[in-house]
Amino acid sequence: MIAIALRNLKHRPGGFVATFVSAFLGAALLMAFASLMDTGDTESLTTTAVVGGGWCLVIVAFAVTSTLSLSVRQRADQVALLRSAGATGPQLRRMIVGEAAAIALIASAAAVPVGYALGRVLLSLLQDTGQVAESVGYRFGPIALGTGFGVTLLGAVAAAYATARRTAGKAGGRPERPRLRRVGAVIFLLAGANCSVLTATLMDGKGVDAMQTAGQAGIWASIGLALLAPELLRLVTAVIGPVVRAFGGVAGELAVTGVHSRARQLAAAVMPVLIFTGVATGTVYMQGIEDRAAEGQIQPEYAQDVQTLNYVVVGMIAVFVAVMLVNTLVAATTRRRREFAQHRLAGATRGQLLGMVSLEVVLVTVAGVLGGSSASLFTIVPFGSARAGELWPSASPWQYGVIVALAVVLTAAATIQTTRRALRGPATAGVRA
Amino acid sequence: MNDAVRVESLYKTYENGVTALDGVSARFASGTFTAVMGPSGSGKSTLLQCAAGLDLPTAGRVFIGGAELTATKDTARTKFRRSRVGFVFQDYNLLPSLTVEQNVLLPLRLAGKRRPANARQILDRLGLGDRTHELPERLSGGQRQRVAVARALVTEPAVVFADEPTGALDLRSAREVLGLLRAVVHEYGRTVVMVTHDPVAAAHADAVLFLADGRLAGSMAHPSADAVAERLAHLGDLTTRAAA
Ligand SMILES: Nc1ncnc2c1ncn2[C@@H]1O[C@H](COP(=O)(O)OP(=O)(O)OP(=O)(O)O)[C@@H](O)[C@H]1O
Ligand SMILES: [Mg+2]
Repeated sequence: MIAIALRNLKHRPGGFVATFVSAFLGAALLMAFASLMDTGDTESLTTTAVVGGGWCLVIVAFAVTSTLSLSVRQRADQVALLRSAGATGPQLRRMIVGEAAAIALIASAAAVPVGYALGRVLLSLLQDTGQVAESVGYRFGPIALGTGFGVTLLGAVAAAYATARRTAGKAGGRPERPRLRRVGAVIFLLAGANCSVLTATLMDGKGVDAMQTAGQAGIWASIGLALLAPELLRLVTAVIGPVVRAFGGVAGELAVTGVHSRARQLAAAVMPVLIFTGVATGTVYMQGIEDRAAEGQIQPEYAQDVQTLNYVVVGMIAVFVAVMLVNTLVAATTRRRREFAQHRLAGATRGQLLGMVSLEVVLVTVAGVLGGSSASLFTIVPFGSARAGELWPSASPWQYGVIVALAVVLTAAATIQTTRRALRGPATAGVRA
Repeated sequence: MNDAVRVESLYKTYENGVTALDGVSARFASGTFTAVMGPSGSGKSTLLQCAAGLDLPTAGRVFIGGAELTATKDTARTKFRRSRVGFVFQDYNLLPSLTVEQNVLLPLRLAGKRRPANARQILDRLGLGDRTHELPERLSGGQRQRVAVARALVTEPAVVFADEPTGALDLRSAREVLGLLRAVVHEYGRTVVMVTHDPVAAAHADAVLFLADGRLAGSMAHPSADAVAERLAHLGDLTTRAAA
């Protein structure tokens, strides 16, 4: 079965691209932050590593598990085929887990040079801002490698194991487990709320340290709400579905019907939009609050530098989540090639299908942006109260505008571009794919 | 008699250099049920897809219901095809996320037409009246293929093409689907062109057209299973497969 797993990787590399990309980038980010701990154990090194790395850890673990589950589910057909050829459940599980482990290993190995370079950049930023002595030499050692390989591998294998149990567990059966997902969502939301409360109470007046708990609050809440993506999407569709239907013609009707029957698949697209909006909004506004609170406390040039460092960290995380977003959407849309072809065989034109997908994008982004905005409040409100004594940040809305615009543009571009590609060639070839 | 479909000197060479159709001319009269047979790889599916406007022939002309299919752009061909042609596939190609009823009505909705008054009747006639709100995955192969036939009929097309519609079905379901296709022709006056490997299935048709190496290789009116099987044996290496 391991042999089949390796053969799969060799012959259908396309199906594994999404998992590879998220594992690769995730491992690189984790290695970069963890390498600061290899470099030394001064307070600023450890704080940067723990805060930045802590945010990454949760997001990377979530990204790797969600892309991996997506790619395993995509191959339900192949699994069914192997099963009918006599493969047992445990054999299939070994195959799926073997593939996941192989991808995680290759991706982590490829991530080493990138993680090394990023870690260097972080250290030189810390040195430029005077937080770390110039004499400290960069070291990339066991902590970086252990964290990078460990988290990626563990995340991938755990996700593969869980998904394999569902996909390969029963012949032809793919029971949805909404209760488990909802319980998970509640746990993440509670964890987020807990961090929020800690930020507003224990961390009140603690200055920068509040950033850590506040940042975590938003991330936990984003993931909790992301797990509720199917419900969120149904809710949004119930509210604006009639409008989409009324103005979208057949395409609108198909989009709305699609949401009702394919809520789970489309939810895979809502998740990254939600996490991107939630994490980016939360961290950017938290940094804004921090900047204003810090004004006058430290010397101006110094504050400027610390600010740069924080924005680099936030930027790295935002870029990672943005890549995840595109990555997931491309994978989820490519998977619909056959569905698109079947629509075309039934008489749909390319234009009608692009219309349908565009309207789905509307529903998906509305759900994702609403969810993400709510999640970001878990960060912004308590941090504002702890750091600046204000619940609602006196910040301008333009950064939020930019984040939402980015989410919309990335989602639309990735989805529509991939749909165009999936519509190429005759429909008869598409159903064979 | 009117021709539902007429093809003139159809040629099709795929990008890999394989010539699947090598000058095929044929006409299918309205209200008839024709089977197309021939060895594997003889070009049957290619013929059906080119005649249905699903694929573009390299050369040749296609007329459906008296109108020539001249469009080369995908969208224009789709619009031409969806009001004039129904297609039934071996593997059904029903949309898994749509219910039976939504699947059947899909071509109409795509063409921007209203739900016909007889939609209910069509489903009832197919014995699917009580399953209209089920998803295809809950149906048996035979039931799915009946849904596919209903979907192919719903736009009242000039012709219904079926490519091995019973290829994935057990004997009883296959007989039901063949009976249905016969009824489509003899009770509703539609035209059906069906590719099949099975002489027994071909015997349900009014006539059989034989294809070999991308060319016509004769025809037979009022076919019987035995006569068809015998003719196929002469056509080439297919005998073993057809009997299997
Ligand atoms: N998309 C394609 N690209 C390249 N070659 C093709 C393609 N489709 C069919 N062919 C080739 O064209 C020839 C005719 O194929 P076609 O599918 O029409 O045969 P068929 O009579 O339907 O066979 P079967 O009974 O096995 O279904 C074959 O040699 C086949 O390999
Ligand atoms: Mg064929």
